[in-house]
Amino acid sequence: MTLAGFPAMWQFARMEAQTFLTYRVNLGLQLLGILLQVYLLKVVWTAVYEGRTEVDGIALGTLIAYLTLANLQVWAIYPQTAEVLPPRIQSGAIALDLARPIGLLVQLIWRSVGATLGLVALVVVALPLAAVLGSLRPPASPEAASLYVISLLLGYGITLAIGILLGLVAFWTLETHGITILYHFVNQFFAGALVPLWFFPDWLRTVAELLPFQTQAFLPLSIYFGRLVGTDALRAIGVQVVWLVILWLAAGLVWRAAIHRVVIQGG
Amino acid sequence: MALARITLALFAAGVRGQLQYRMNFVIWAAVGIVFQLTGFFFLWALLARFRSIAGWSLEEIAFLYGLRLLGHALTVFFLGGTQLVDWLVREGAFDRYLVRPVPLLLMVVTWFRPSAVGDLLGGIVLFAAASRVVPLDLSLPAVAYLGLAVLGATLIEGGLRLAIAAMAFRFLQTHGILWFVDTIFNNFGNLPLRIFGSAVELLLTFVLPVAFVAYLPASVLLGRTSELTIQPAIAYAAPLVGVIVFGLAYLLWHHELPRYQSSGH
Repeated sequence: MTLAGFPAMWQFARMEAQTFLTYRVNLGLQLLGILLQVYLLKVVWTAVYEGRTEVDGIALGTLIAYLTLANLQVWAIYPQTAEVLPPRIQSGAIALDLARPIGLLVQLIWRSVGATLGLVALVVVALPLAAVLGSLRPPASPEAASLYVISLLLGYGITLAIGILLGLVAFWTLETHGITILYHFVNQFFAGALVPLWFFPDWLRTVAELLPFQTQAFLPLSIYFGRLVGTDALRAIGVQVVWLVILWLAAGLVWRAAIHRVVIQGG
Repeated sequence: MALARITLALFAAGVRGQLQYRMNFVIWAAVGIVFQLTGFFFLWALLARFRSIAGWSLEEIAFLYGLRLLGHALTVFFLGGTQLVDWLVREGAFDRYLVRPVPLLLMVVTWFRPSAVGDLLGGIVLFAAASRVVPLDLSLPAVAYLGLAVLGATLIEGGLRLAIAAMAFRFLQTHGILWFVDTIFNNFGNLPLRIFGSAVELLLTFVLPVAFVAYLPASVLLGRTSELTIQPAIAYAAPLVGVIVFGLAYLLWHHELPRYQSSGH
C-alpha cells in the first residue's frame, strides 16, 4: 500500500459506510432482532439456572453479559465482503472493479472496514438498550481489556478472510446468499454466541476447538471476562494468529483461481 | 381445474428457474436444514447440561420445536414467494404480474425457494422423531386437532408474511420488518413461553400470535394446558386464529395493492 493510495482506499471505506447507513432503518431493525435474541437468551439461561447463582464456576450475571457482547460482536464483525462481491459478479460490475488501479482484494477489504465501522457505530448507540435487554460488564482487568482488543482485531482479520472466501464462491456459483446464511448459523453456534463453549458437551467442544469460529466470539470474550489469563490468553491469541495465516493463505489461493474464471455477464 | 394446472405449471417453472443455479439450490436446501438444526442444537446443547426448561424435558421441547417447524416449512413451501414482493415492487418487475391473466397472489406465492426443501425435511424429521418419544394421545380428535393446528400454524405465519408483503406497496423496502418478525417466530415460537413471564406470554399470544403456532397446540397435545396464563379454551382455538390472521392479511393485501406505483419505467 503506497501512501498516495491510502486516501483512495479510505474513500472506499467511507463510501461503503455511507451506502450501508442509507439502509439504517433496516439495520436498526436487524440490530433490534439481535437484542431480542439477547433478551431471549437471558430468559432461557435464567430458566435453566433455576435460581442457582453459579454453575461450573460461571455466575449467571457474567454469562448474560458474555452472551450480550457475543451476539453484538458477531453481528458487528459479520463478513460484509461476502455480500459485496456476488451482486457485482452477477451484474458484471466486477469488470469495472477489476479495471480500477487498486487491486480488487484491497477494495474489498476497505469496503468491509467501512461497513463494519458503520455497524460498530450503530452498536455503540444501542449499548444502553443492550444493557437493559441483556447485561453489560466491564472487562475483568486492564490486561484483559488490552488483550481483548488484540484478540478482537485478530478475530476481525479472520472475518475479512472468511468474507473474501465466501464472496469468491460467487465466481463459481454466481448466487451465494445460501452459503452466507449457512455461514451465519454455523458461525453463530460455534462462535459460542448461544451457548459458550464452557457448557458444550466434551465431544462438541473438541469439534468447536478445531474450527475457526471460536475466534469470532468465544476466545476474545473468554479473555475479556478473565476466564483466560496469562499464558492461556496468549495461547488463545496464538490460535487466532494461526487461523489468520491459514485463512488468508486460502483466500489468496482461491482468489488466484477465481480470477481466471471471470465471466463478464452481458459485456 | 385450469387454475390447478396453472398453479402446477407456475410451481414447476419456479423450481426449474432455481435449478439454473444448481450448486446454490443444493446449498439453500442445506441452509434450511442447518438453520433448523442450529436452533435445535442450541436447545439440545443446553439440555445436555441442564435437565429441563421450566419443567419441559428435551423430548417435549423437541415436540414443540417439530410442530413449529412443520408449520414454518409449509409456510415457506407454499407462501415463501411473499418475501420477494418488496423487491418486485422496487424493481418495477411487479408490472409483469399485473398484466398476466392469472390470479395475482397465485403468481406471487408460487415463487419457489430451495430452502423450503430443507425446511420441510428438517421439519418432518424432527416432528416424526419427537412424536415417537413423547406420550402422545393418538385418538381421532387429538390427531385431527394436530392436523388443524399445523394448518393453522401455516396460515398464521403465511398470513403475517402476506401482510408484510402488502406493506411493500407503501414502504417499498420491507426486508427489515420481515427479518424482525421472522426472528421473533424462529426464536420464541419453539419455546415454552411461560419462561418469559405472563406479560410477554400475553404479548406473544394476542399482539403477535406466536403462541398459537406451536406453544398452545403443543400444550394441548401434551396435556399441559393447566400451566397456561390464558384460558385453555383459547388454546384449543389455535387453528381458528390461523384462519382469522390469514383472512385479515388477505384484506390488507387488497387494500394496499392500489398503491402500487411502477418504478423506473
